[in-house]
Amino acid sequence: MTRYLIRRSLQAVPALLLVSLCVFLMIELGPMDPLAMYEDNPNVSPEDLLRLEERLGLGQPVHIRYGKWLLNLLRGDWGTSNVTWRPAILEITDRLPNTLYLMTASLVATLALAIPLGIVSALKQYSALDYVATAFALMWRSIPIFWFGLLLIIVFHATLKNPFTGNPLFPGAGMYDIRDKGMPGYNAILDYAHHLALPLTMLTLHSAARYMRFMRSSMLEVIHQDYVRTARAKGLSERWVIYRHALKNAAIPLTTIIALDLPMLFGGALYTETMFSWPGMGRLFLQSAERVDYAVLMAIVMINAALIIFFQLAADVAYAYLDPRIRFS
Amino acid sequence: MRNKLLGIALIAVLLAASLLACAGQNAKPSAGQRGGTLVIGIHQEPDNLNVNIANQTVSFEVNEFINDALLGIDADGEYIPELAKEVPTVQNGGISADGLTVTYHLRDNVKWADGQPCTCDDWKFTWEVITNPNSGVKSTTGWKDLAAVECPAPQTIVFQFAQYYAAHLQSMGGAWILPRHATGDPAKMQEWAYNRAPLGNGPFAFKEWVSGDHLTLVRNEHFYLASEGQPYLDQIIIQIVPSREVGKQLVKTGSIDVLWNLTESDFPDFEKAEGVTLTGLADTRTERLVFNLRNPEIDAPCADQLGAEGLWHWALGDVRVRQAIRYGIDKKLINDKLLYGKATLGTAELNMGWAKPNIPVSAYDPKKAGQLLDEAGWQDANGDGVRECVSCQYAEKGRPLRLKLQTTTGDKLREDAEQVLVEQMKAIGVEFYIENIPSAELFGSYSSGAIRKHGQFDILMYTTNYGPDPQSLIENYYASWNIPCDGNKGLGYNYSRWINDEFDRWIKVAGESPDLQTRREAYQKASEEIDKDVPAIYLYDRLKLNAHRNTLQGWVDNNWQQIGYNSGAWWLKR
Repeated sequence: MTRYLIRRSLQAVPALLLVSLCVFLMIELGPMDPLAMYEDNPNVSPEDLLRLEERLGLGQPVHIRYGKWLLNLLRGDWGTSNVTWRPAILEITDRLPNTLYLMTASLVATLALAIPLGIVSALKQYSALDYVATAFALMWRSIPIFWFGLLLIIVFHATLKNPFTGNPLFPGAGMYDIRDKGMPGYNAILDYAHHLALPLTMLTLHSAARYMRFMRSSMLEVIHQDYVRTARAKGLSERWVIYRHALKNAAIPLTTIIALDLPMLFGGALYTETMFSWPGMGRLFLQSAERVDYAVLMAIVMINAALIIFFQLAADVAYAYLDPRIRFS
Repeated sequence: MRNKLLGIALIAVLLAASLLACAGQNAKPSAGQRGGTLVIGIHQEPDNLNVNIANQTVSFEVNEFINDALLGIDADGEYIPELAKEVPTVQNGGISADGLTVTYHLRDNVKWADGQPCTCDDWKFTWEVITNPNSGVKSTTGWKDLAAVECPAPQTIVFQFAQYYAAHLQSMGGAWILPRHATGDPAKMQEWAYNRAPLGNGPFAFKEWVSGDHLTLVRNEHFYLASEGQPYLDQIIIQIVPSREVGKQLVKTGSIDVLWNLTESDFPDFEKAEGVTLTGLADTRTERLVFNLRNPEIDAPCADQLGAEGLWHWALGDVRVRQAIRYGIDKKLINDKLLYGKATLGTAELNMGWAKPNIPVSAYDPKKAGQLLDEAGWQDANGDGVRECVSCQYAEKGRPLRLKLQTTTGDKLREDAEQVLVEQMKAIGVEFYIENIPSAELFGSYSSGAIRKHGQFDILMYTTNYGPDPQSLIENYYASWNIPCDGNKGLGYNYSRWINDEFDRWIKVAGESPDLQTRREAYQKASEEIDKDVPAIYLYDRLKLNAHRNTLQGWVDNNWQQIGYNSGAWWLKR
């Protein structure tokens, strides 16, 4: 087991190097130019442009710049943003808590919604409930998520009013009320929950649809297995059969899916963050790409890649633990 | 009878009231109500708040609330005193006869938001920073021409130029400056804490910046108009709302009070919105078609090569073709159809302000266009609707008049305008085909191989803007010494590769004269050359639009400055 872990960890190193090299080259080869934003500024003279290009080190060949970046990273330095001139890691730590908050809430809500629905759908296959749940799942997966987000804002923010205050029923932007926060009588828990409601709905319905379908098929597979029939034949109660025997086994593949989704807690949700003005990682990533912010882009990609590798390993280990048929070799 | 009398009395009262209301509107707005928080929705996040290294437009919007300059600019593009007592002129002794010495006198009560006095030394410091080769400053324009900034008294600032610099009122008079006591070593400007928490001398003081979420500004108690009660607002919060579609919903519900930076296509959305006004003026961004006058297959020829054979663009090298295309474009139709008739039609590079030349809108005359093309040897011999070279100047015989039109992707107004242009060109037997590219690619640098810099295009459509002093813009874009090529490392913006000796002469006159009237005439002559030779066609002026709740009082559109230029006088009606 230990040897397996060490081997897998060592394998991660070349993988990460390869990712970093590919991404660095992709940014380099892309048509984006960090100086393009200055080009049409009449106050930035052509001579100024040359000076900036030199200062940013853009005149150096790509392998030198990649080498420098890598050496700095080995020393624990993620570099400085060439847009904000702050350490790249600060840009990330500013946004990370907001993303973790939204994404964790969404993951919990997703599982709470999808697992029971998936189970019931499987047990009552081809029932009315199964059809309705399946239809909704298909619908949430099919409609563009940004469109759904805008729809939520138009209905629950712009149209429906709180009958007592006349204010919009739900806030349409941000994590908290920027006017009221810190004022006397401000209730943080209520306000944060109020602001979380719509973005959470947008994210959860979308991902719950996927988990629900997955849970359903996994459960369907298990309940036709011999050991479930055996359990029934032993005269165990239906509840015992479902929860002790069937669900435990049906949940094993689910751990893999969840583990592979966990890096998303770091990456954030671009569309939801954009629609609901949520200051998260997804938007940071897009903004860095638009502004050709090398250091921040590279840091986000590398941390993401490391997390994916780590959680894949974690999924494999968990799988072996849950399923005694699997052994490491 | 009584009812009738009552009715007349009522009408009289109403009339009187309405007259009073009108009088009230005309009168200078009296002091507003103090207090309240204003929330402004913007779709960009500032990169940083030091305008010497920042480049996002929104950094300047935020700084306008925090900082004042010696001079401001009114809605007509004229300079007005802000921190200075008056605008320096040759007449009042502020500008020396040779134009090399410019003196400003500060108001008596100018302070930084922390209560420290703001003096000449801070202007001197700003000059030291900008001219420090290690500061990493974005632009040194103008400041590098200064020999010294002298401080004979704390409130007297003397700019001593080594060589004449035409745009000094804009560059020095309009500059937001750096506080010496709250910044740091000029050589380490990019590391200053100031960049994320600036100290200014304007109506509002910086309080906090929550990354990706909002910036909070509070009343500057030391503002120089504090004794007059300004600013009226307690607080301005700038909230980052990345989606403009969502922003429009938020301003309609009053979640935000102002939504920054909208476009012409948003007019229908606000037509029926209650309590919100969408307002703005045409600004200095003129949407134009830029012609490539040289052979697009030759990579970035330099100015000294351009006399050679074979370097002309096969079609656009002939001025008659460029004129014909201009005659074939119905600018008014584009404005009416796509801009709700709200834009002004383009005539010249300098479309507003004191330097605006007097050039008429080009005529729409498809017949004349056809004649010119016939004359130039482009005729539709095979009857397929597109003209071919029959006896044209630079193309091989039989080549159809088929030109590539390119603009930035994802800009709906531009894409719609392209469609209209394609139709209008079809009517005169010219085929335009569209091949749009992302803006970062179109506006890329010379070293990244951008087609615009390298002259590998037929026709480009985009816009550019300029400040109150137009010299750097028009010189960069049209002077013959600003043609980008290997020989000058791609410097300069003369993408048409247009060479006109008359223009060169006038633009030098404009750049070297301290007299505004002389400069104005020089710009007129220079603009006439552009109009005659058609290296570009000016289509229409883009509108700078913002939406605000009607509870916000004191909003005045001014296309020369950022929205907050008069924010000290803003107040909220409750």
